[in-house]
Amino acid sequence: MLKDELKHCGAAFEKGLHTEVRGQVSRSRSAALLNGNLIANSRTESSGVSARVYKGGVYGFSSIAEYSKEAAERVLKAAHDNAVFMDSHVPAGKPDIKPLGKGEYLTDVNIVDAPQKVYIDFARQIDDYVAKHCPKLISRRIMAVEDSMEKLLKVSDGTDAHTALPRSYVYAMFTAATPAGQPVELFKAFGGEGTFENNFTDPAALYSDLDRLYENILKKADGVYAEAGMKTVVLGGFMTGMLSHEAVGHTVEADLVLGGSVAGKMLGKQVASPLVTLSDFAHEAFGKRAPLPVFVDDEGTSAEDVTLIKDGILVGYMNSRQTADHFHMAPAGNARAWSFSDEPLIRMRNTAVHPGASKLEDMIASIDDGYYLIDSGNGQADTTGEFMFGVTMGYEIKNGKLGRALLDTTISGVAFEMLKTVDMVGDTVEWSSSGYCGKKQPMPVGMGGPALRCKVMIGGR
Amino acid sequence: MTELKKYAAKVLEEAKKLGADYAQVTVSESEKREFNVDGGSFSLMRTLFNRDVSLTVLKDKRKGSVSMNRFGDAEAASLAKDAIDACLSGQPDDAWEYCAEPCEEEFVYGAPQCDTNKLFIRTKELLENINERYPKIIMEQMITDHTAAKVVYLNTNGVCYKTSKGKYDFSLMYSAHDGEKGTSFFGDGVSLKNLDRPVIEEALLDKELSQIQAQLDASPMDGKFVGTAVLTPGALGEIVLGTALYNFLSDGCLIDGTSIWKDKLGEKVADDRISISFEPMNETMVTGSRYTSEGFRAEDYEVIRDGKLNSFCLSRYAANKTGNKPASNDSSCVVMKAGDRSLDEIIAGIDKGIYVMRFSGGQPAPSGEFSGVAKNSFLIEHGRITRPLTETMISGNVADMLNDLVGISSETCVDGSSVLPYAAFGGVTISGK
Repeated sequence: MLKDELKHCGAAFEKGLHTEVRGQVSRSRSAALLNGNLIANSRTESSGVSARVYKGGVYGFSSIAEYSKEAAERVLKAAHDNAVFMDSHVPAGKPDIKPLGKGEYLTDVNIVDAPQKVYIDFARQIDDYVAKHCPKLISRRIMAVEDSMEKLLKVSDGTDAHTALPRSYVYAMFTAATPAGQPVELFKAFGGEGTFENNFTDPAALYSDLDRLYENILKKADGVYAEAGMKTVVLGGFMTGMLSHEAVGHTVEADLVLGGSVAGKMLGKQVASPLVTLSDFAHEAFGKRAPLPVFVDDEGTSAEDVTLIKDGILVGYMNSRQTADHFHMAPAGNARAWSFSDEPLIRMRNTAVHPGASKLEDMIASIDDGYYLIDSGNGQADTTGEFMFGVTMGYEIKNGKLGRALLDTTISGVAFEMLKTVDMVGDTVEWSSSGYCGKKQPMPVGMGGPALRCKVMIGGR
Repeated sequence: MTELKKYAAKVLEEAKKLGADYAQVTVSESEKREFNVDGGSFSLMRTLFNRDVSLTVLKDKRKGSVSMNRFGDAEAASLAKDAIDACLSGQPDDAWEYCAEPCEEEFVYGAPQCDTNKLFIRTKELLENINERYPKIIMEQMITDHTAAKVVYLNTNGVCYKTSKGKYDFSLMYSAHDGEKGTSFFGDGVSLKNLDRPVIEEALLDKELSQIQAQLDASPMDGKFVGTAVLTPGALGEIVLGTALYNFLSDGCLIDGTSIWKDKLGEKVADDRISISFEPMNETMVTGSRYTSEGFRAEDYEVIRDGKLNSFCLSRYAANKTGNKPASNDSSCVVMKAGDRSLDEIIAGIDKGIYVMRFSGGQPAPSGEFSGVAKNSFLIEHGRITRPLTETMISGNVADMLNDLVGISSETCVDGSSVLPYAAFGGVTISGK
């Protein structure tokens, strides 16, 4: 565990200026096999300390790639000098950040670093299984990865914290050929919070999921193009998570609201069907530990859930301490930094639509001519709420029954218009957490939700 | 630099002591100075002191790579041990290959020294210029910075490269707003060697700010048609060049055989007006390494010459795996040969089409098929741009588009990491609401 080199740093904080100092170590381990060839076998580690000082509406920040008491003192001085430079050259004349009560949080997560052999051997066993049992693939990629961040935070006011967040995954990407010889791909991630050795003890535990992935890609290879146009669809839980994060979540990050996002004009207004409630969960969701729990953020705010949409009405934003003061809201622990050399930014944690009462089979049975859209390889959205998601796995729905599989397609729309068309909400939440959200810095996030019946524009071929 | 070289040598020595057959190490130290503007106002000044050491070893034809940013005697030994452990866990592979010809070279390029005051003044001036010229633009975020780095590369075959480099980067994310009206966001950027002139005059910043402001009255179009897509240099890089490079020419798709161009070397894959190259040595480039990740001296190379596939973009490893020639650099700093007609002349010849500044879509399929939203786009009718569009999708196939070229502009955008013209392609499906 990270040794506390920051315990005496408080003495170097300048009175009256909000100050943070953070020591951090980040690790990543990865092994990747392409058709059995070990094409990546790497381990990285970075550690250091950073400081941030607030003065009159602007921040000064500095970091150094060394984790020691002396390094902390050096970055505290540099961050202070930068804040003074900004305050004197572009004075914003804003008041101090509203103070928070002092507190302390200590993690009980201990990150035990596994040797590289563990990742390679596991990936190899998965690859051997796929090579043997999936003969129609024209290409296969298997990756075994872990990343983790461990942080020590001291703040002039707020909660001092020692946090740790490891996560680990096995990725499988299959390529098969259509009857015309065109390659099609399908990808699945397995895993979640925890170290690799905690999450993956027996490769055989993944075999049935790999079999399903293989079945799906063969169906996809024989699939058809979706018919373009506005369609009634059932979005699977994974797609709902993508929508929650990309198309809604980003528009209600308070820094993007200040940057002109569409949500700036919609607080208190109906933006979705009354069936839709959407939250950004801190560390627990629907009675269980959230996929990637956050207990204290990197500004020293104890993390709490944020309700963003309540019964279809936009009711909140995600904030840093600075934007919370601006919008007269309470900060809830959304300010997070990726590396020791990064400043905290407003980030989502575990963003999901709440479950409803409908059964998936009833939702499918209710559609005469539409689609069931299950998986997405990527998604992008605009601060206008306009979104586009690639759909990598889906099926036709004809007369209430699943039909042929779909080749790759896309869906698009405007989130706050599309959410108003939701008329059935599934009763089971599906989460994903393997990706990174990209803003100025990457960040691990969880996203999820139940199946939604709604209307959406599908791209067709 | 001497200290960095000494440390690099120490890491190599530790790897050799543990029995490495081959080792290469890169040691770097960098400083970054950065200003941030959020929601139109200055928000942050950052100063970062970074360093890094990365080590790759081969033992019994197995490879392992590790990196860390802690320096010291114990750390050097631990790094070497981790690398050897990682490689021994792997499998033998004959395809790994690294530079074996001893040499010592030193490179100085870009802007190795930061003028922090001038960076601040140019940043403030850029913000003021935008506010004066384009009052409807809201700067969601602007990041301006200077990074200076000293890097030493050493390998056990006697190759030594010492690099001192630096660059100024300006990155802008913005949209236009007027009352209830707002546009999609747009991102722009440029890398510079110096700050001799106002930044708004660099690359296409001024023109693109003006075009985004002109999109405030965007509306969806009805129906669907197959027409010509005029791609700005940014959209060209994103849709066409990115796909061709990744889906048709890179290591992965050639090793696994999914590239549709795998048997096309020397054959026609594009219109004969198309020539594309990677030119880190081009004097306009601010980025771009002088040597490859496998230790070979980098040289410019042509990927497509007059429509014919001249080279794949392969590392030595992938080249050995597939029996092809390796690329002469790490495939950065893309250049597309300019055409002989102006952008206006090209648009004047288009009956019905779309002008696309940004594409929001997924990675195109291995076949080159793509589909996504044409962001920040305009409708072209009867030879002129008639109105801004929203919620319009485009789809097509990149391999087909390269053979359905309508024109390449004589104007190019020089942004420090690429030199690209505007290009117009036929056969693109354009769908409205």
